[in-house]
Amino acid sequence: MYFLQQILNGLSLGAVYSLIAVGFALVFNILKFSNFSQGGLITVCAYIGFMITRTFGLGLGATLALTALAGGVIALLVERVAFRRLRRKNSPLIYYFVSSITMGILLENLITIYFSSNFYAFPRFFARSTVRFGPFFMATTDLAMLGISLSSLLILMIVLYRTTFGTAIRALSMDMNAARLMGINVNFAIAGTFFLVGVFAGLGGVFLGINYTLYPQLGKLIVKGFVASVVGGLGNILGAVVGAILLGLLEVILVGVPGIGSGLSPVVVFVILLVFLIVRPQGIAGIIVKEKV
Amino acid sequence: MKKLAIITIVLFAAAAMLVSASGQREDGAIRIGVIQDLSGPTSVWGNAVARGAELAVSEINAAGGIDGRQVELRTYDVRLSPQEAITAYNRLVDQDRVTAIVGPPISNIGLSLAPVAQAKGVPIVGSFIDPRVTVQPNGEPWTNMFLMQPSSVQYSEIIADFALTELGARNLAVMYDQTNAFSVSLVEPFRNYVNAHGGNVALEVTYTSDDRDFRTQLSQIQRSGADAVYLPIYIQEAVLTLQQAEQVGLDIPMIGGLDFAPPFTDLLPDPTLADGIYVANNYSDSEPQLVDVRAAYMDMFGEEPINKAFKGYDKILIIADAIRRAGSTEPAAVSRAIARTSNLRGTTGILTISPDNHQPVGLSMVMYQIINGEYSELGRHVPESHR
Repeated sequence: MYFLQQILNGLSLGAVYSLIAVGFALVFNILKFSNFSQGGLITVCAYIGFMITRTFGLGLGATLALTALAGGVIALLVERVAFRRLRRKNSPLIYYFVSSITMGILLENLITIYFSSNFYAFPRFFARSTVRFGPFFMATTDLAMLGISLSSLLILMIVLYRTTFGTAIRALSMDMNAARLMGINVNFAIAGTFFLVGVFAGLGGVFLGINYTLYPQLGKLIVKGFVASVVGGLGNILGAVVGAILLGLLEVILVGVPGIGSGLSPVVVFVILLVFLIVRPQGIAGIIVKEKV
Repeated sequence: MKKLAIITIVLFAAAAMLVSASGQREDGAIRIGVIQDLSGPTSVWGNAVARGAELAVSEINAAGGIDGRQVELRTYDVRLSPQEAITAYNRLVDQDRVTAIVGPPISNIGLSLAPVAQAKGVPIVGSFIDPRVTVQPNGEPWTNMFLMQPSSVQYSEIIADFALTELGARNLAVMYDQTNAFSVSLVEPFRNYVNAHGGNVALEVTYTSDDRDFRTQLSQIQRSGADAVYLPIYIQEAVLTLQQAEQVGLDIPMIGGLDFAPPFTDLLPDPTLADGIYVANNYSDSEPQLVDVRAAYMDMFGEEPINKAFKGYDKILIIADAIRRAGSTEPAAVSRAIARTSNLRGTTGILTISPDNHQPVGLSMVMYQIINGEYSELGRHVPESHR
């Protein structure tokens, strides 16, 4: 009974990680680098969501929609400022990586400057904090998060596999030059991808803020998203979701294991990450997206 | 090339002279440093301490200063970083030439400053409650570190005694941050006191400062059947703990550390989440010595002073009193005088510092219970062994 309850808790945690991991996977899929600016983006979105609810007193749905939109716009700006020039100059991959980390730190520090003299928490969105299923219970926010994550992932899949725009993105992920020669507007498709990444950062930011309160280092949680996307297979969106849920379950279970607990659980998680990198670098999904050459 | 080298040397020399000149103000103002977290996760505390100190200094200056000299504060933000605290300390000592320093309420920072202050000689009056900040491993006090509120040993004994005698709890659980000196230092004395006085610490669960999800730990506490849980944790984790305790259905009395003192309930998404928490504060809002200071604080900053603001105020009182008694602004003389602070009337109580461990003597705590999101006072609690 207790164990099943822990599994439910792990699923909830995994749902948060999956929103982050999918953002990673989307960018890696096309540009072949791990976009660490996403942590900063998530932090900024969490604060934007908070400002929106505080200023307009909106409910969860409207807050999520507006924050997702704002996240998309900021992600477009990030792409414009940090990555477009690099792409135009055909810069080596390491530049993208450095640029993304710099951008992440910049966003985090902007938040520190403007918001860190106080401490914030989202207001309550739900009258009841938990929902019971017989002997089990789940936090209402977790349930909402699980539902919204899964449905937004489904929408993402439809966009990627059923629309012309999705086809363009998938074509880019295979060969950017060939795609350009075939008449695909590369800048537009990449900007669109970043917009999607921003939307996920917006959703993730609001949920992280609700669950973990607002603080400028909120974006540090992207490390978990990164681990999840490596375990799942870098660049693979479904793999990232599976990796994230496994990671959430693993963490919850490890904390309960006597002798490991909270202190040693990160050690075990990173050992597993190392084992994955050595034994199965292609991740669970089994398809490795080739690094950009 | 040679020219460039000469210019560089001249510039460096000029800069060095400027730096040293800025410190030479023998007949000018007395400088006191302030090291606080003005930004970062504990900035609510840091800003309150800095403002309390500012208020005390403005009152001292309005009354003619210390021995006719005005007092000037130099404040640095260290963002909860022990590394930045050391940099700020060095800067206050080497560049600003301060007489003494108002320290933060952060034990991790106090631990990192203690050996530096020992070497450089400028005293720090802080409210870091880990006793290791004021006492060296060999039992001698750190020469320049002073605590002005009950240490973690005193605090946890008061809390443990309250849980045993007033709440009638026998089986207690503890959840704490194993990477935080403040948190860790509050656990062992609690456990020892409970075990020695007929109770039992049934379960201790830990987390690390990066953790944001405590539901597994809270479920373990619930399964352990403990009568009450003791939470010596920081404010942000405290908010998360209450939210998540509600989610896992943990509904037993909780006894908080100092971070649950006001304005804690204002930071919650819903103040009634904190219902059923017992917390100890350094003073009672109804005590007469606070009235004038509170009014002046609200006048100056337009907000209600919190616990840490009164501590900032008292830290300046302690330093000013020591400068007067020492008759000097020489840091070593002031440090010796702080160690002999006796019966000084502060806002948080009558302050006497023991020269043996540089910790205050005979301070008690006022217990509160949070009911409907409001703090309801239960009176001062003094364990038998503290009387």
